[in-house]
Amino acid sequence: MSKPTNSVTGSVAIPPGLARPLGIGGGVLAILGALLPWVTFLLNDGAYPDKATLQFFDAPYAVSGFRLHVLLLGVVAIVAHFIPVPLRRVLRALGWGLIGVAAVNIVFPLVDGGGFGAITSDGTNFAFGGIVSLIAGIALVLAAKTGPLEPVPQWKTSVPTLVAYAVLVVSFVALLLVVAMMLNAGGQGGVGNPYAGPIFLSLLAFLAGVLGALHGIGLTGWISGLSDKHKWFSVIVLVLVALALPFTEAGTDYWMTTAANIGVYAATAIGLNIVVGLAGLLDLGYVAFLGIGAFVAANFSGAAAAAFDIELPFVVAAIIAAVVAGIFGAVVGSPTLRVRGDYLAIVTLAFGEIFKKAAQNNIGGLTGGANAIPNVPPINWFGASFDESLTIGSLELPSGVLYYVLIIVLVALVMVVFANLKNSRIGRAWIAIREDEDAARAMGIKTGQAKILAFLIGATLAGLAGAVFAHKTSTVAYDSFQFIESVTLLAAVILGGMGSIPGAVLGAALLLVLPEKLREFSDYRLMLFGLALVLIMRFRPQGLVPDRHRRAELADEGADGVPIEELNVHDTPGDEKAVTR
Amino acid sequence: MSATPVLAANSVSMVFGGLTALSNVSLRLQEGQILGLIGPNGAGKTTFFNCLTGLYSPTTGNVQLRGQVLPTDPAAVTVAGVARTFQNIRLFPSMTSLENVMVGRHSRMKQGPLASLFHGPAYLKGERDARDRSRELLEFVGLGTVHDELARNLPYGDQRRLEIARALATDPKVLLLDEPTAGMNPQETEATRQLIFAIRETGVAVVVIEHDTKFIFSLCDHVSVLVQGQLLVEGTPDVVRADPRVIEAYLGKPPDEVEAEVRQYAEEAAHGGPESTQVMQPIRDQDGHEGGNR
Repeated sequence: MSKPTNSVTGSVAIPPGLARPLGIGGGVLAILGALLPWVTFLLNDGAYPDKATLQFFDAPYAVSGFRLHVLLLGVVAIVAHFIPVPLRRVLRALGWGLIGVAAVNIVFPLVDGGGFGAITSDGTNFAFGGIVSLIAGIALVLAAKTGPLEPVPQWKTSVPTLVAYAVLVVSFVALLLVVAMMLNAGGQGGVGNPYAGPIFLSLLAFLAGVLGALHGIGLTGWISGLSDKHKWFSVIVLVLVALALPFTEAGTDYWMTTAANIGVYAATAIGLNIVVGLAGLLDLGYVAFLGIGAFVAANFSGAAAAAFDIELPFVVAAIIAAVVAGIFGAVVGSPTLRVRGDYLAIVTLAFGEIFKKAAQNNIGGLTGGANAIPNVPPINWFGASFDESLTIGSLELPSGVLYYVLIIVLVALVMVVFANLKNSRIGRAWIAIREDEDAARAMGIKTGQAKILAFLIGATLAGLAGAVFAHKTSTVAYDSFQFIESVTLLAAVILGGMGSIPGAVLGAALLLVLPEKLREFSDYRLMLFGLALVLIMRFRPQGLVPDRHRRAELADEGADGVPIEELNVHDTPGDEKAVTR
Repeated sequence: MSATPVLAANSVSMVFGGLTALSNVSLRLQEGQILGLIGPNGAGKTTFFNCLTGLYSPTTGNVQLRGQVLPTDPAAVTVAGVARTFQNIRLFPSMTSLENVMVGRHSRMKQGPLASLFHGPAYLKGERDARDRSRELLEFVGLGTVHDELARNLPYGDQRRLEIARALATDPKVLLLDEPTAGMNPQETEATRQLIFAIRETGVAVVVIEHDTKFIFSLCDHVSVLVQGQLLVEGTPDVVRADPRVIEAYLGKPPDEVEAEVRQYAEEAAHGGPESTQVMQPIRDQDGHEGGNR
């Protein structure tokens, strides 16, 4: 039986003899590109960041920002030739990173500064840095095409526990710093920095290149293997690391608020992941459950516009919200006994619309209609109001930090629920239903009950998130729960990788952070965003952080960049026939 | 043979719109028996299986397991003790072999949603038991080495065996196998035959649908022939094999010139001599290796 080989080599055939010249040449070019100026004159919005103008002559070798990234990528590309690593894999990742960085920093001056003069020569000044770096990137990618990609090395995960712990702590802390760096790239929300967008995108391309290279040498696989092995330790460290975000440079009011929003979405997306990712039931009206949770909590919050004139403690209100949302989940889930696939999607879509219209019309006086329920008081525990800043000793933490902490706890809780269910009898039943409903029934699974349970649990989690949402935003209005929000949640799940927890969190984070970060592209923002989604789905249909099962499902359907070797395919001795499906 | 049969179909008829797929089919499966169900394509064998397993609700008649009438719900039938495999393999392709078999343990596990949520000691024990039993079963069907392989990546023959392991995981009293050797080479077919004998040893009665009459005659204690939705002949392999109606049903009325060959074929089958493995193949094709050695 011949092992199925991955043909990422593509259609371009480069003679293997060119591998070294292309690889090392690309690296040298990248270094050169980093040291060359990138822009010839002042752009309309002021000097392009990081010495990209002719300030080159003021400080000849000052390299920082994206040019530092280009320099690093180039140096690593050269070094990679002299150490035992899967060279073509590493070069491919570095090459694409370089192309990304160069493209962003070419396109932006081109458009903003007007014409090719900005990035080549305007008569007196020259600036070929961008073009040289782009060529360097292409050279590296071509060097990677001189042969088939090497398998990703599998590092041994049987290391002493202490070593594993140290590695995990270091990698999670590094992750935290990277996240903080990304959030802060170009300043928050582009305030006062006309170039925040390209800075952010360029950083993203650089990080993608580095991550790809680390993946190529097997490091990320090793770390994820270690964290699988030391699951609980990883979870604890991850939570602690997340709690440390307010202490980094991203610890501002703005990012705390955004991060809390991400958390609400992430928790909801994980709930949706149970329904869509595990049980395979497409739900297009899921945000309604977030809404139900939010309205229930708002009505018990003591707000002036609330239907009930009682103020319940937050925890009690949150539990009621979760239970009510769960009941609605079971109700919506019951038609799933009769309808499948597309029809189910329509049923859930209709439910979402019914909820929105009902809320808009202030049904039963519970939703405030167009006036919404304003002035939901912030959560207040032990005299600490959650919307104020917090001072610990001499350290002042930004406002919203308490919400952030609460939501981290919520997300962690939801994650544990998801993970525990997934690795249980009921989780296996859900996956079996997703894979083949008739076969699942033939295995004695009561598919009706299992599906309703999926809806119930998913809705309960969303209701819980909704309760936090109500207090955090302080105004609960029907238009926060439109169809587009359901779509966004679904996109978060699919983007991150169906059935995968880190995937849902990453998906939610991207869907909320990207629009913020691309703000200064104003009109083009959503278009770019949509384009990014299309590209991700084209090149990584299994999602960014795919679940093991999904990865297997989609990888052999020609998904680029997911080599079969990663899937642990090994020959079974004694087979005479290969599976050909 | 007077004891209560472990599985009994009583005058089962199945009508789809105007089409009568099954009419008055009865079947008795005794404890420890291997029963073969043969018949040409479209005879209604799989429809009959679907009636036995509750996937279809018979238009008339019923199915009894040890005297109890079975419900017409596949999950409930499985819980009651009738497990099946499918003609076109229906594994859970993106689950590992072990997980596939563990899904089979579903109805025999007591873990509720709360236990699933909190992973207490009872959960851990249940999970460990299910895993141990599933490993045993994988070992039993000869897949001991591929626990962590995704079902979709398994070779064809292994997928068939995995499906049997998954069905056995439901602790059945009766196992229904729908064409377990379809597409297999002679060695794999023989391995499957041995496996079915081994399954009988564990006290499970087996019903097998097959086209391969040689396989059926060498395996079963009792054979039923289904033609156009009706039970044509039943009895021991010798009785069925000798019945001219069976040959006629499979091959049509033999013209004079092939009659001799048909008789020769029947004789060879009786003596286990060289024969075609697939009756549906032209009987002139007698090399006996056709379909194998791929």
